Amino acid sequence: MATKKKILKIALIVIGGGILIAVGIVFYMLNKPARDVQNTKTDYSYEASQIVNEYLTDAQTANDKYLDEAGNSKVLEISGIVAKISEDFNNQKVLLLKSVNDKAGVSCTFTSETNSKTSTVKVGDQITIKGVIRSGASYDEDLGMYENVIIEKSDIVSNK
Amino acid sequence: MKKTTILSIVAVAFISLTSFTASAQKLVSSKTHFKFFSSTPAEDIEANNYKTVGTLDTSAGAIVFSVPMQSFEFEKALMQEHFNSKKFLNTKANPKAKLIGKIVDLSQVDFGKNGSYTVDVSGDLTINGVTNAVNEKATIVVQDGKIALNSKLNVTLADYEVAFKKGKPSKNIAKTVEVTVEANY
Repeated sequence: MATKKKILKIALIVIGGGILIAVGIVFYMLNKPARDVQNTKTDYSYEASQIVNEYLTDAQTANDKYLDEAGNSKVLEISGIVAKISEDFNNQKVLLLKSVNDKAGVSCTFTSETNSKTSTVKVGDQITIKGVIRSGASYDEDLGMYENVIIEKSDIVSNK
Repeated sequence: MKKTTILSIVAVAFISLTSFTASAQKLVSSKTHFKFFSSTPAEDIEANNYKTVGTLDTSAGAIVFSVPMQSFEFEKALMQEHFNSKKFLNTKANPKAKLIGKIVDLSQVDFGKNGSYTVDVSGDLTINGVTNAVNEKATIVVQDGKIALNSKLNVTLADYEVAFKKGKPSKNIAKTVEVTVEANY
């Protein structure tokens, strides 16, 4: 009798524990924090011209390689020359890395945490940034212009 | 013979001149904000996109926006993953949405004079690879030579084959969502 009670007690603890863990996992999934791009391993490192030309050559293949179905696309480190410094409607700094001879560049948006890192950056600087790719470069007939590669959640890796 | 040569020179000159002025009147956005807002009794969901590129041709009244879909940022990571997934907006296959519109009543806008002008825009919206006609109001604000555009679109998800048939998303995402457009040129 005593052993039966003991087994029942253990079973209840195990089941109870299992339910708690399951609820915990579901709760975590539903409230999973946004992806921390800067603490994600870099997938590829390129010069701005390289990724621009890869997209202009074959956008489909490049999309397959870099974009993720759930939006957790590849984390890239891009080196290039700063062609333009601006700010978006969300007060985030935007650096355009583009060499004079290229048709398009790489537009890198920073975050409220990393904005301040751009304060010393000047047009013409050679820098390396890290961020997540959102879309590639292409010529858009409706806009009548080339669109840049888009990188967000950026931070500066090095500024020479 | 001589006449045709002169005529063709004039024609070439005319074409190059008009195409030059046409490109001179095409403005490119400097800042944009697209906001997705869905409201249901269960919850309100909002996502923001600051990476859209747009052009405004002030002589033809043509408006174009190219929206990188993966740039929509949600508060919750799981929502963002759902939004991008194959079942919903399939952003890997269709990384950009596009709005091509024309200001129907362009004559009432004076781009050279300060003011706020309400216009009718009609055109096509392509989301998830599906194109539908849209007709919405937009406001054009001219302030000391700077031009801004604001609009609100009501997008019925089913029209774009974005169907939340089962589970939590079907209850928590509105059938028609509001997309707010804000652009500075």
